[in-house]
Amino acid sequence: MDAEAAELLARSLERAFRNETVKAVEASLEEIGWREALAEEGTAVVPLLFARQGAAIAASGALDDLLVSALGFPADPGTAFVLPEFGSYAAPGSMEEGGLAVRGLGSVRMAAASRAVVLTGRDGGLRASVVETGRFEARPVRGVDPRLGLVMVEGEGIAASGVEIAPATWEDALAAGRLAVAHELIGVSRTMLRLAREHAVTRVQFGRPIGAFQAVRHRLAECLVAIESAEAAAGAVLGPDGGADPVAAGMAKAFAGRGARTVARHCQQVLAGVGFTEEHGFHHCFRRVLTLDGLLGDAKTLTRELGEQVLRDRRLPEMRLL
Amino acid sequence: MDLQEFRAGLDAWLAGHEPELRAESGPGAGLDEEMRHLSKVKRMAYDAGWMRWGWPERVGGFGGTTLMRAYLGEALAARDLIEPGIYSMTEVLAPTMIEYARPELAAETVPRLLRGDETWCQGFSEPGTGSNLGSLACRARRDGGVWRVTGQKVWTSLAQYAHRCVLLTRTGTPESGSRGITAMLADMDAPGITVRPIRAMHGRDEFCEVFFDDVRVPVDRTLGEVDGGWGVAMDLLPYERSTSLWHRGAYLRQRLGHLLATAPDGAFDPAELGEAVQAAFAFHARSRETQHRMARGERLGPETSVDKVLLATTEQAVYDLVAGAVPADIALGDGADGDRWRTEFLYSRAATIYGGSAEIQRDIIARRLLGLEGGR
Ligand SMILES: Cc1cc2nc3c(=O)[nH]c(=O)nc-3n(C[C@H](O)[C@H](O)[C@H](O)COP(=O)(O)OP(=O)(O)OC[C@H]3O[C@@H](n4cnc5c(N)ncnc54)[C@H](O)[C@@H]3O)c2cc1C
Repeated sequence: MDAEAAELLARSLERAFRNETVKAVEASLEEIGWREALAEEGTAVVPLLFARQGAAIAASGALDDLLVSALGFPADPGTAFVLPEFGSYAAPGSMEEGGLAVRGLGSVRMAAASRAVVLTGRDGGLRASVVETGRFEARPVRGVDPRLGLVMVEGEGIAASGVEIAPATWEDALAAGRLAVAHELIGVSRTMLRLAREHAVTRVQFGRPIGAFQAVRHRLAECLVAIESAEAAAGAVLGPDGGADPVAAGMAKAFAGRGARTVARHCQQVLAGVGFTEEHGFHHCFRRVLTLDGLLGDAKTLTRELGEQVLRDRRLPEMRLL
Repeated sequence: MDLQEFRAGLDAWLAGHEPELRAESGPGAGLDEEMRHLSKVKRMAYDAGWMRWGWPERVGGFGGTTLMRAYLGEALAARDLIEPGIYSMTEVLAPTMIEYARPELAAETVPRLLRGDETWCQGFSEPGTGSNLGSLACRARRDGGVWRVTGQKVWTSLAQYAHRCVLLTRTGTPESGSRGITAMLADMDAPGITVRPIRAMHGRDEFCEVFFDDVRVPVDRTLGEVDGGWGVAMDLLPYERSTSLWHRGAYLRQRLGHLLATAPDGAFDPAELGEAVQAAFAFHARSRETQHRMARGERLGPETSVDKVLLATTEQAVYDLVAGAVPADIALGDGADGDRWRTEFLYSRAATIYGGSAEIQRDIIARRLLGLEGGR
């Protein structure tokens, strides 16, 4: 996609995420042709969408589309994806004697979807099945971020055969998903910094805008460093061939997740009392950060596992050539 | 020559000449030996042409993308053939000369720096002037065709080896602040200059006090406009935070790789290691973008302070990891490996001080990138 087309798509996406309801967001994405763009351009369009979804603190089934299509199924508004359990990235399903058992999370799409793709794993073999959503229980999660609309998915004894999924295919899907969530976290972080910066220039104490106080300035500078670094890391995930590098995607997501918490901590301190109210927008951002970090492997898990992998290899992961 | 050709050619050349390029005495032989070795590496790389790519033809270069310069330092650092702290001074000072010196002066002096015939130093800081560069006092008075310089510089890295100094002087009134500063290129063997090396915490004579007692510097050695030295310094600092940092990043990865290959089992906390690796990855990505922006001819500015903060944080995280993995080497070790880890660990503590402290970088980010007025 050339720069101009990307800019156009970005602006339409921005408008789409301004819609109040998930239904309207999903309809706008349909209208824009997000799934077609994904099919044509591949992972290259992921940053465009998810950074804006994050910045708007919006929710959609875009992650479902991404993962469903990455596993080779047709993506549409009626198809959801069952995400791994919170914090983890293990396949949410397993093939038992009496049928398929599943325990995972669903996005905001799940309620409206008639089908869901369930990844099952056992003894190293991976399969993916399309299951009618009526066959399992999908219970709304309230938790810290009800607006994200996550549901808890649970079921067993579901008749399904599924198709075999090569481990590399799931690895690539996971990489694309992590890249998406990394960009979403960066988007949320940018919004937090925008709110805190606006506050720093308008809130006056001791006769000066608080942004004149160095303790405040340095906190916000620290936020920008975290955001720009996370953005650079996420930008290095897409290889020249357009695919997401799995190791790099894990690093970028963990880095963005940790960075988003840093940004949240500093921005909350700068926003102080007003930022602690439900009337101010900050809390929505913070809630989103806490939740997004747990999707497809949280920062803590990914970081520890990276360390363990590096120790096994006794060398650093490959980094892109200059 | 494009970057791909350059990389392939340079890699082959390095493979063929590695024994000659490697310091005979090994690391930790002391700064004198390291400086001699650096000159040799630069000379060989210059004579083989590699050191000339990426520099303009009017200063003895072969032209082409600046990415070649970035890659040369990276390739040398990755093979442990140079230490970027002393190697990359060229990346800081040569661009300033190219931009601000008379063309004849740049054409005459820059090739000597590139070829390793000369060492240069950067005379900014003074006893009363650290972070607040605009307060500097080292005085230059115009006397016909010369500047007569009197005053003192301090923390001047490598001044004891230097042939030339990019010097900031006060030419306006003492109160003129950043408006009354003039930059010039001084010869370090000029009468009236006294250099006293200072032993630094990591056991090396890293920097010096430099005294100027009525030193004559020809007026045609002025860099930029008279009283325009602030602009020269401000344009130099982003260079200090671009290619040099890329080289340093390559060196850090090489050292971390060495640690990984040699540290005993159980030396690392996987989570801490994972974090340091992620930071190195993020720095690599960020600095790579900066190298490409520079190669496209974009003017580097305050956004390079992000690179600097990220690198300093990463560098200290890497050496904290070292200190955790081989603590006895750092605390007690008297073998070559222990000496080197200790020296480097201690040196890493300065990463948040030199080239504008971590606090000054955050102030730049707040003011210039976030638009927060006031401060200080
Ligand atoms: C290894 C090394 C090599 C060096 N090489 C050179 C060289 O080659 N040439 C050269 O000219 N200089 C060199 N320096 C000097 C370096 O640039 C200065 O040390 C640096 O600019 C800080 O100045 P200072 O040490 O006087 O500290 P100060 O400016 O006195 O600062 C002391 C502390 O106060 C903080 N501080 C100061 N002002 C503010 C403020 N406005 N807001 C918040 N905090 C503030 C600083 O961040 C620092 O933590 C080198 C230093 C080191 C350590």
